Amino acid sequence: MPETNLITDIGLNHYLVLSVVLFSLGMAGVLLRRNLIVLLMCIELMLNAVNISFVAFSKFNGKIDGQVMVFFVMTIAAAEAAVGLALAVSIFKRFKEVNIRFFEHLKG
Amino acid sequence: MSSDAFLFWFLALVTVVSGLSVVLMTNPIYSALSLAMTMIGVSALFVTLNAYFLAGVQLIVYAGAVMVLFVMVLMLFDLKHELQAFTRGRITGAIKIASVGILSGLIVGAVTMGLKTATTLTESASAANAAVALKTNPDTTRALAENLFIKNIFGFEALGVLLLVIAVGTVALSRSKGGSHARD
Amino acid sequence: MLSMGNSTFEIAINAVKTILVFFMMVQAVPILVWLERRGSAFIQNRFGPNRVGPLGLIQLLADAVKFLTKEDFAPEAGNRFLFYCAPVFALIPAAIAYMAIPMSVPLVTESYTFLIQGYEVNVGIVFILGISSLAAYTILMAGWGSGSKFSLMGALRASAQIISYELALGLAIVGVILLYGTFNLTEMIHAQAGAFHFSAFGYTITAPWAPNWGIFYQPVGAILFFAAAFAESNRLPFDLAEGEAELVAGFHTEYGGFKMLMFFIGEYGHMMIASGLMVTFYFGGYSIWAATPADVQQWFADTLSVSNQVANILSVIAHFLCYTVKFAIFLWIFIHVRWTLPRFRYDQLMDLGWKTMLPWALANTIITATVIFVTSYFIL
Repeated sequence: MPETNLITDIGLNHYLVLSVVLFSLGMAGVLLRRNLIVLLMCIELMLNAVNISFVAFSKFNGKIDGQVMVFFVMTIAAAEAAVGLALAVSIFKRFKEVNIRFFEHLKG
Repeated sequence: MSSDAFLFWFLALVTVVSGLSVVLMTNPIYSALSLAMTMIGVSALFVTLNAYFLAGVQLIVYAGAVMVLFVMVLMLFDLKHELQAFTRGRITGAIKIASVGILSGLIVGAVTMGLKTATTLTESASAANAAVALKTNPDTTRALAENLFIKNIFGFEALGVLLLVIAVGTVALSRSKGGSHARD
Repeated sequence: MLSMGNSTFEIAINAVKTILVFFMMVQAVPILVWLERRGSAFIQNRFGPNRVGPLGLIQLLADAVKFLTKEDFAPEAGNRFLFYCAPVFALIPAAIAYMAIPMSVPLVTESYTFLIQGYEVNVGIVFILGISSLAAYTILMAGWGSGSKFSLMGALRASAQIISYELALGLAIVGVILLYGTFNLTEMIHAQAGAFHFSAFGYTITAPWAPNWGIFYQPVGAILFFAAAFAESNRLPFDLAEGEAELVAGFHTEYGGFKMLMFFIGEYGHMMIASGLMVTFYFGGYSIWAATPADVQQWFADTLSVSNQVANILSVIAHFLCYTVKFAIFLWIFIHVRWTLPRFRYDQLMDLGWKTMLPWALANTIITATVIFVTSYFIL
């Protein structure tokens, strides 16, 4: 079996690891940040990370289905962003703030 | 180093650094602009994976529309300083970071352990076939369209309905009473 | 796998071409500014710049010197980083997108086919739309970084306008994509070369005196595309972003000197992309009236009795001139419209975009798809 050089031979695993790194960045953001809009952005980051792995699988397996799935994910992500932002705007109008700390007001 | 490898490492650096700054920047506008940079990087990564059409769509949908919407809303709110950018409490923060680290470590471990088996198992059969299939037919756009409109047509139609519902819902949510456009 | 020598050669060629096209684009801006000022003076029955040099041509050089030597200032209340970034980002997307437009037939040598365009992109249309949609960031960064209410309002208006009209623009192009069945700009131009011929129900209609341009198949799409392109490049009658009466100068109120000039170059860049795309989609790109590139080369070889190599070079030059003429006509229409029509009100603008142009573009798409399906799948 020929030696594979980790730096110069870019394969599926490189893309998967990159996707994992971006996904965990997004997840850390969702857990750590307190601004509602930044939370939405971190979710978008996670979806993008998943898209990378879909396209990478599609290329290295030679099937187009992964790209179709990315198409669907993109549409859902755009829809999610639209609804999320509309909610954020109405929350901002009510509380003049989009920090999720203020959601305590929602209690009874 | 071949141009492929250079491109991958460069784009990986761009996406990871800008992804990191999405999480770490306390000014949400900088976060949003970094996320836009990440989207552009991801789109370039799609180009390296021969998904040209998806790269363009990524630019139009994410970088050109969704992120512009985010930036517009943030600028409309004019949030210059954040009350509390990060979570409260050192211990909970540490636990959260540790859990994310463990999760990503597990996945990376699984992926790289899978490298050994995957290369031995499939390298001969599917990887070679894949390379040939995509090399000889670089026009993935036509294949994408055929798959989307023949095999996944119902999913596609469902997405259309979803988008319609979302559009109506968003307008209903953000409609303000007594604005300049109020008719009733 | 590319062999190293070939790919290095290609990278070098592409780098040189990129720089060349970029400079061509930047150099075209002073000429356009001169044309705009003289043209507006002509339309409004006054003189315009006519003191510096013949016909005032040197005026632009003097202006550039003035811009360069002005004091460089930034507003106190704004965000300095975004304020300085914005003009640079105004320039880059316009330049990158313009390079994907083919300007002439390829120059063929024995070893290498030299494309007369910055670089060929397989999905040219999607690429250009994607890159030029990044222009909204520039405006938002400039508006917010200036820290002024006028700038912010102008930026929000402009970016909302760009997002809204992008929809109509994209849908107007769908008709063209359906017609030619490709995203590639070069293939589109090849489909439009030669005399008019149209196949329907198994019959072919030909007209040897007329060109096979897209405008004959997609008149509604062409009008919608051109109108949306005006809105995308923030020109009158859609320049709500800088409505002087309400907003001073919109998102670039606080800019002066060379930073202002860079915004101008960006705006003219978008105008040039719109004209280039208009020519490419609807007016046959670089192809000469009712003649294919092969015809032209053959004509040169026959009438001047030169070798194929020389005929190829002559044909490249002829096609490039043809493209430039078409391109210049559309640039002039941009300028003429700017000095002819008044500005829309903001609600009129949004109504036009969402309630008029979007339904027309959708109808155009549906009708085009139906006609193409019916005429090509049913044979009488």
